[in-house]
Amino acid sequence: MKEANKLTINRVSDGNRLTLALDGYLNTATALELGTFLSESLNGVTDLVFDFSKLKYISSAGMRVLLTTQKRMNSQGSMKITGASNNIIDIFDITGFTDILTIENRE
Amino acid sequence: MYNEIEKKKFRLIPQVIILFAAAVLVTGAITFFVQSSISNSAIRRQTESRASEIAQETATAIREYPAYDRLLSYWYAHADEMEIEYDAEYKTGTETEAKCRTLTERYPSVQLKYVTKQQLDAMELEDQKLYAEVAYSWLITRLNQIKRTYHIDFLFCVATDETYGTQFFLLSAADPGATRGTSYEEIYPLGHTVTVGADQQKAMRSAEANASYLANAGDYVDYYTWLCETEGHPVFIGMTYNLSELRSSSASQAHRETLYAMLFQIFLSLICLILIYRFVLQPLKKVQKNIRLYKETKDGLAITESLKEVKAHNEIGDLSKDVSELASEMDDFIGRIETITAEKERVSTELSMATRIQAAMLPHVFPPFPERVEFDIFANMDPAKEVGGDFYDFFLIDEDRLGIVIADVSGKGVPAALFMMASKIILQSCAMLGGSPAEILTKTNEAICSNNQEEMFVTVWMGILEISSGKLTAANAGHEFPALQKTPGGLLELVKDKHGFVIGGMPGMKYKEYELQMTPGTKLFLYTDGVPEATDDDGNMFGTERMLAALNEEPDAAPVRVLQNVRRAVDGFVKDAEKFDDLTMLCLEYKGKPSEQTVNHRQ
Repeated sequence: MKEANKLTINRVSDGNRLTLALDGYLNTATALELGTFLSESLNGVTDLVFDFSKLKYISSAGMRVLLTTQKRMNSQGSMKITGASNNIIDIFDITGFTDILTIENRE
Repeated sequence: MYNEIEKKKFRLIPQVIILFAAAVLVTGAITFFVQSSISNSAIRRQTESRASEIAQETATAIREYPAYDRLLSYWYAHADEMEIEYDAEYKTGTETEAKCRTLTERYPSVQLKYVTKQQLDAMELEDQKLYAEVAYSWLITRLNQIKRTYHIDFLFCVATDETYGTQFFLLSAADPGATRGTSYEEIYPLGHTVTVGADQQKAMRSAEANASYLANAGDYVDYYTWLCETEGHPVFIGMTYNLSELRSSSASQAHRETLYAMLFQIFLSLICLILIYRFVLQPLKKVQKNIRLYKETKDGLAITESLKEVKAHNEIGDLSKDVSELASEMDDFIGRIETITAEKERVSTELSMATRIQAAMLPHVFPPFPERVEFDIFANMDPAKEVGGDFYDFFLIDEDRLGIVIADVSGKGVPAALFMMASKIILQSCAMLGGSPAEILTKTNEAICSNNQEEMFVTVWMGILEISSGKLTAANAGHEFPALQKTPGGLLELVKDKHGFVIGGMPGMKYKEYELQMTPGTKLFLYTDGVPEATDDDGNMFGTERMLAALNEEPDAAPVRVLQNVRRAVDGFVKDAEKFDDLTMLCLEYKGKPSEQTVNHRQ
């Protein structure tokens, strides 16, 4: 359970491009953290990339953050998700998020 | 409690008393040591000057006789022949007086006291002897006086030999009544010769070299002064006296001084004790009493008031002030805690009320439609916190149509619960207005999106069962796949239906619907992600595989039993791990028209 409460956000900034590699679990507790982080980091970003290759789990609260971020990026640039595992893609499929998110490297 | 304070009070005082007592003893010891060493050196100085004074007086007494060296020689040479009257009280009629008269008759012009050498030589031999005897007697009397005056033990005049090995006693003073004799402790008569020890020899040699010498042996002091030389023999005035009296008087003085010093110290200590008691202990006691009082009453105001009496402008005053401040801060703190606790209680009361309201909002009486034998339904919502974001719902839209909903709001707790309540009401309202599941979801999405600043969303699976035919029309807005049993007693399998986007996520979303045919005796199982995502201590998820296994444990079981089986499997999987998502399940069994109900289940 403790393990499931951890999320590490690794950030690589390159001009207007921001890459965020998420490592761990994106659940109710860590979603709040990510939401706060994003609200402070997205100014001037036109190209947002989420690297989900190390993301183990995403909850509905986590998806809410993605939805909010997607809506914000729709007005200031683009956002895409890379490296998502099958489990996470399944969740996106189930919730219909595949329709509104740009997901790359889909297997 | 009071006794305890009293006990504590007497713990510091004895410690201080012990400390002071030790200080008094140290002072006493130091005073005694200093006084003793001062008096010892004083005694020595005093002894020396006194001895020299006595010797001086004795020497003067001898030298008063102009022919003293002749007399000494005579005494030395004729010691055995002399007829001496020792220790005479010479004013009364004595032998010496008689001898004086004889001499005065024979030598009327001679003053007996001041006989010169020439006058002595001019006398007849017989008269010379007489005069030597008279002078001797007078001198003895004089020496006796000196001895008495100065309280000395022995006073004498001795001649020694070249080796200083012997002492020839010429004059020796005696106290009245003392016996003359040659044994130890008697007063030696003229001519008695003793062999002396090394100490005395050394004393006499030194006296000859330095005119006087003080030998200090224990309580006794030997003092020698060189007087003259007679017939080649050095003549000394010697004396011995006991210092013990002097010592004891000086010791008693040291004792007295020590006693005074100690008494003074005790007096100071007592004053200190009183001051400590008055200015340290009493205020401290007061502070302590108030601390204890505070412990019992928690009345910071009273303590602050009471501690104002401690007016010390020192550390104790500071302590008292600090205690006052601490007490009032504590009061504030307790007040805040009480407020927080009250607030918490209020929130907790409200939450438990909310739990009941939420539970009551969901259909919770089973069977919900006792008169409808065509289907059986059972559902359960178990929030992770007091209130949850999951919900299920079912309602008869009309006589032949049963609306079934399962939904999961993003997030948990109160925010999810608020959103859930709105979603549930909107969804049911839209459903009651008529239309297919896809139309209902589309309308619901528009309604929710219109007022959703917080961008909450809800996944919804909605189906409408045509009770008469078993046709199930359904639409899925981002919710988990339902599980369906295709044939009575067969396996329940996931229906990988086409998913639309979550409700509330984005306006303008369109939903697609699909149809399933339920044959009598089959079941539909709906759930939220709390079931497959139930997690054990190691972070493993329950998953749909385990869920299906639990579902298929008893393919013929009634809905209530199916839910129990799944719940037991989930609980067995997560064990003691903290539950962190709502757990909601619904199971519908389609039984068909009463005429078609051939298969009868265990109930």
